[in-house]
Amino acid sequence: MQVPEVERVNFSELASNAARWLSGEEDSEGMVVSCRARLARNISTISFAPKATIDDQELVIDRVLSAAQRSRHMRSAAFFKMNALQANERRLLVERHLISPALAESKGQRGVLFSRDEALSIMINEEDHLRLQAILPGLQSAAAWSAVNALDNELGTALEYAHSDDWGFLTACPTNVGTGLRVSVLIHLPALVLTEDMERVTRGLTQMTFAVRGFYGEGTNSIGNLFQISNQSTLGVEEGEIVEKLTSITQQIIAHEKDAQEALLKEAPSQVEDKVWRAYGLLAHARVLSSQEFMNLLSAVRLGRSLNLIKKIDSGFMNRLMIVTQPSHLQAERGGDLTAEERDMYRAELVRENFAHLPTGNAGAS
Amino acid sequence: MKCEICHKRDATTAYTHIVDDVKKTLLLCADCIPTEKKHDEEKLVGAASAKGQTKQDVPTLIKKAKVEFATSAAESGAVAEKCASCGMTYDQFKKAGRLGCQCCYETFAVQLDRLLKRIHGANKHCGKGRIAPGEIPAPTDDLDQLGQELKDAVEREDFERAAQLRDQIRSMDAGAGGRAGEL
Repeated sequence: MQVPEVERVNFSELASNAARWLSGEEDSEGMVVSCRARLARNISTISFAPKATIDDQELVIDRVLSAAQRSRHMRSAAFFKMNALQANERRLLVERHLISPALAESKGQRGVLFSRDEALSIMINEEDHLRLQAILPGLQSAAAWSAVNALDNELGTALEYAHSDDWGFLTACPTNVGTGLRVSVLIHLPALVLTEDMERVTRGLTQMTFAVRGFYGEGTNSIGNLFQISNQSTLGVEEGEIVEKLTSITQQIIAHEKDAQEALLKEAPSQVEDKVWRAYGLLAHARVLSSQEFMNLLSAVRLGRSLNLIKKIDSGFMNRLMIVTQPSHLQAERGGDLTAEERDMYRAELVRENFAHLPTGNAGAS
Repeated sequence: MKCEICHKRDATTAYTHIVDDVKKTLLLCADCIPTEKKHDEEKLVGAASAKGQTKQDVPTLIKKAKVEFATSAAESGAVAEKCASCGMTYDQFKKAGRLGCQCCYETFAVQLDRLLKRIHGANKHCGKGRIAPGEIPAPTDDLDQLGQELKDAVEREDFERAAQLRDQIRSMDAGAGGRAGEL
């Protein structure tokens, strides 16, 4: 197999760098962490995942890497073969939203390519031969679509994609046929959860053929009141329309969340302020923090930021902290295996250090 | 399962019709699926008689007939086709939920057409078309990438490369009438 000249990335270096999507730009009222556009593609002459042999999988990797080398967008990308990575390293890529939990757990010849700022990535031999992804900070779905579309146009010239005039791009699962496009936003909705309105929102979105998923996408749970909202239909609707619809739906949800946040603050200002500042205090001083507790406390601080109760913390700070405190990131940062208890202590230490570097004095209380 | 009209070819279709409010099903091959033509009616008369239906039932049968593919056909074992390219059967697809290759879409075209309509509420693609070999990405996208490369070059203090990139961006910017989009 042709070995492409791709940059090698050191995992502890990767763990300590912040991906572009965590920057907190364009974060729409402090609610939208990131947006993502992904395309599912298959090479027409090679068997799809369920029937692919190891040779087929290697051929796919070979063809994709060869095309990526000629791509303006991916030629200086980093490449990792899944079976060459330790379990912790694979999980670290999941935590950075560069690969799906399914790819991390799969056997066989699979890999991932990603740009240095992690805005563009390609999962190879996941459910489809290629899963192209653009992930950007805040609500920039149109820009994410434009970025992944440009990459797709480049790779598509070198890889003959499976495509039919009637059904568009052909994918292993019929749920992705057509555009193969899934656009999503990662959004923080604490007030809708607190007011128990999230179920109603989820029902409404389902009726509009949009899905509400967990922190790492399909089959995962919501953590820290963070939800992924994405389109379900990929056939019979143009890409631009999917993107516009998601953007408009997201804006409506932001408005609902904002109303709910303001109503909460109006009805119970002391309790809301106490919840926010109590969480701030715990994060700044706790000695042991589980992942779940940390995410819940961070959610309360995010709420404080959205309500302008806390001014000195920005979204980028919270987003980066959210990733570097994930188990595999802690492990990569510290080196060696950590027990769950050691991780919780190290997480608390890391959070304390970060909070200690925030501007001193009044933290922005209203 | 053989077709209940010709008794030669494998049945691929569960042909459901309603007679006096009673739903009846014939398992047919693709060639024997009825149309409005008379010879088809005659074929059906034979098959219907064999199933205890009368000749008078046939016009109603044709009028109200509804070809039902997809799950009902597969569940009854009527879909026995195999993809010539990867060997996947429709039953295997139903169990795994994933298709084996591009040719599966041709092999199971009728079933998939109905399935896609059920999943997406549509069965006709109207988005991006096939990507032609040699197609060049839009200039704005080139600019985005060059901008990123310029940033990277400055960060690693490769000023020679940064100057080249800056000039390239300037010339493209002028041609494209300004920078659009951001990646």
